[in-house]
Amino acid sequence: MEATPPMEAGTIDARTIDAKTPTPATTKPLLAVRDLSIDFYTATKVVHAVRGVSFDVAAGERVGLVGESGSGKTTTALALMRMIKPPGIVTGGLAQLGDIDLLALHGRQIREARLRHVSYVPQGAMNALNPVLRIGEQILDGVADHGVRLTRAEQKTLVATVLESVGLPQAIALRYPHQLSGGMKQRACIAIAIALNPSLIIADEPTSALDVITQRQVMKTLTSVQERMGCGLILIGHDMGLMAQVADRMIVMQDGLIAEDAPVRRLFRQPAHSYSRMLIDSVPSLGERRQPAAAAVAADETGAAAETPLLAFDAVGKTFGGGLLGGPPKVALAPCSFLLESAAPRIVAVVGQSGSGKTTMARMILGFETPTTGSVRYRGRDLAHLPPDAARQFRREVQAVFQDPYGSFNPFYKVDRTLAQPLVSFGLARGRKAIYARMEEACAAVGLKAGEILGRFPHELSGGQRQRLMVARALLLKPRLIVADEPVSMVDASLRMSILANMQDLRTKHGISVVYITHDLATAYHVADYVLVLHEGHLVEAGPPEEVIEHPAHPYTRSLVGAIPWPDPDRRWSELDPDLRASWSAPPVIRGAITGFHLRAAGKLDIRAGNPYPQPENSPVFRGRNKNCSRRHAKTGRSTNAYD
Amino acid sequence: MPLRLIVRRLVMVLAVVWAAGTINFFIPRIAPKNPIAEKLTQMAGTSGVDPTKIKEMAEAFNVKFGLDKPLWQQYLTYLHDVFTLDFGQSITQYPVRVSTLIGGAMPWTIGLMATTTLIAFLLGTLLGAAAAWRRDSRILQVLSPLMMVFSAIPFYLIGLVLIYFFAAKLGWFPLSGGYGIISIPDWSWEFAVEVLYHSILPALSIIIASIGTWAIGMRGMMVTVEGEDYMTFAEAKGLRPGRLFLRYGMRNAVLPQITALALYFGQIVTGAVLVEIVFAYPGVGTLLLDSIKLYDFPTIYGIVFILTLTVALSMLVVDLIYPLLDPRVRVEA
Repeated sequence: MEATPPMEAGTIDARTIDAKTPTPATTKPLLAVRDLSIDFYTATKVVHAVRGVSFDVAAGERVGLVGESGSGKTTTALALMRMIKPPGIVTGGLAQLGDIDLLALHGRQIREARLRHVSYVPQGAMNALNPVLRIGEQILDGVADHGVRLTRAEQKTLVATVLESVGLPQAIALRYPHQLSGGMKQRACIAIAIALNPSLIIADEPTSALDVITQRQVMKTLTSVQERMGCGLILIGHDMGLMAQVADRMIVMQDGLIAEDAPVRRLFRQPAHSYSRMLIDSVPSLGERRQPAAAAVAADETGAAAETPLLAFDAVGKTFGGGLLGGPPKVALAPCSFLLESAAPRIVAVVGQSGSGKTTMARMILGFETPTTGSVRYRGRDLAHLPPDAARQFRREVQAVFQDPYGSFNPFYKVDRTLAQPLVSFGLARGRKAIYARMEEACAAVGLKAGEILGRFPHELSGGQRQRLMVARALLLKPRLIVADEPVSMVDASLRMSILANMQDLRTKHGISVVYITHDLATAYHVADYVLVLHEGHLVEAGPPEEVIEHPAHPYTRSLVGAIPWPDPDRRWSELDPDLRASWSAPPVIRGAITGFHLRAAGKLDIRAGNPYPQPENSPVFRGRNKNCSRRHAKTGRSTNAYD
Repeated sequence: MPLRLIVRRLVMVLAVVWAAGTINFFIPRIAPKNPIAEKLTQMAGTSGVDPTKIKEMAEAFNVKFGLDKPLWQQYLTYLHDVFTLDFGQSITQYPVRVSTLIGGAMPWTIGLMATTTLIAFLLGTLLGAAAAWRRDSRILQVLSPLMMVFSAIPFYLIGLVLIYFFAAKLGWFPLSGGYGIISIPDWSWEFAVEVLYHSILPALSIIIASIGTWAIGMRGMMVTVEGEDYMTFAEAKGLRPGRLFLRYGMRNAVLPQITALALYFGQIVTGAVLVEIVFAYPGVGTLLLDSIKLYDFPTIYGIVFILTLTVALSMLVVDLIYPLLDPRVRVEA
């Protein structure tokens, strides 16, 4: 893979580069990439992954490289690191970093340029560190392999310095990766990357696996380190919101070409390219909720209150472990109660970070997990004691859409089978024709053309198509309730809003209620009628999205909302607050109510014979921020007298 | 590692050994044969004894070996003996004690199998790792399928081929045995050389047959590890290839291999049976086969119990060693 530049390196001097430089302010850019082309030779064809890409990065500049999967953004970055692996080949171009052309290096020079001149902060903080080496060793081995000989004391100082610059205590050096949280791991990666003071850092979706609060912390760390060192930063990603927060300039890539290269404000104000505009439009922003007001639906069903509720959580809590061999018990979900009425379909968003108990809640709704306390009732029947017939009905009427559209299909079968199976097993359609008609109908409902989808294998479909198909599959059974666990976290940004629009259709057109589990407040804001915010198993805030997200009241929700990367360069993250963690355990705040959904943070539901839920809108349940909702009480479970 | 955990592991080992020992006791009793009658009939066949006398003799021996007592009593006696490592006297080689028999056979088996297993493990693991690492190397890529072929051939077959060519045809090595027929085992230099000389062919057959298994396992793990994010990051750090290969690649890929090795060690003795028979090697395998053929309960018990013990102990060793190799399973004290 000896990538020789198409022309002699000497002919490219500072002047010719300057002539093309889009930012005339700087005299000579830190990095000048010219006509970079990368091909992949597959068995059947040549894929031009990157096609003659040219761009500059100035010293101290933060350049966002955005595009969807397959746009060539990561390939470009790997080419700068000289890490393109066969069958990929850099077919031409040059990348002048200071005095060296990164693409013309060979042999040892390649290895020596890494870390010393260009550093790479990888995607997926979870697995980027060697699990069997201590953090300190992983900082030092890179330094040692660049011929820097240090004494014991110097090593210690270096490790302490780089750790400190990313805000980690020195003691972290002795830890193993599995002993660190995701955010700490990613900061450790940054510490490793800056050990030799490189002039350019390439960060490839450095926060993709992190929650928003940690994401903000890591990004702040990265940018402050970069500012202090004065090095260039190429930030690769697909999250326009994050880019708006961090980047000075943005390069939008599509199909291996640069669609647009503009300062971040201009790009967001006046995107010149239709693709940039599409990317920007696909990100939910604050202020314009795109859904019909819930009140419109609510108006016509005041008389329906006597029906059995669709779903009732009656002081449901879940504790894991604590058994003979299970170790200390862990509260996954502190007891909480709510009712979802059957008359009017609602979209209820459950928002929280990993470990907040949101997935546990989803699993209990689906009956995959039995509550430790309280009971989950579906149409009046306790899920823990469903007779076989009712269990079948429950399985048909409550459907799930999962996070991973790749893992949700059996790769050995055509997607038809996945769709047809439930129809057959529930006897909802007989005969090929009837089944096919139903499948076509369901595909159409989620905006897929049946002719293009049916008869194909899962791997032949895109992630977005697969995820919509999962929604279609759930729809086939004409369910009453769909539990969607992070349904859009693994699809490209441009598809997110259309899948979420599908979910709103479920409610408005098909009359299906949705429990939408997510870590993403921004999408919850646009989709949901009601939002529950969970933190470490406890409900912290609940209410209609306009109230919870536009005017968060609970300290935790405030931190969460404050960390949302809104796609607006003028609405950037505020400075990092002092550590607010202590205040996060404040008692829950329950905001305005909507019809069709009733909630109590702790305690039992007031269900009397003939009058299952006497609370009308603005029910007394919400009055006076129920003191029994306090976390201390919820933890001990001694809050059964909550109702008045 | 906290003491409590070690104690818990030890209790587990004891439980496993007890359970296996119990099964070990009952299974041969289900077989519808009487070992004493078998032996006596066999003897009668060669020397001609009055058949009616055989029955009397059999009963006398039954009393002597305790076979006339009720089953539960035999079981209790068995448990006691077994936990004191006393397996009584062999029936077929009466009055030699079983522990003497096993003690005589064990060094041969351990010596042969432990050495060859370690050699095969080291060579195979290195070869597999290299094959995954240097996918551009012709030699290594040709070697991989070849190793796969060898690992598919049972080692006694390889043994027979080796005997045919190197012992029968070329006469470079002895045909069989652990030492020369006329030599008397002692601690002399000459005898050691002789033992080594006799062990080359059996060792070779085991190494050839098992090296491929290790290599294939390691190659697969190494390919998986190469796809890990930490390998990408390590490469981006500009590490020396040697460090990348050893400290990042092999260090992680070898972990499952270690588990496999420890489990394999537990099966060393059984694995040796066929090799020992093909080469007429005086080890535990040969002893076990002879005892099974003649229903020599005490010897079978003894060997199987030792087997159980080695399996359980090697698992204990993995449990105790693994945390040293993989910090992720280290229990915080």
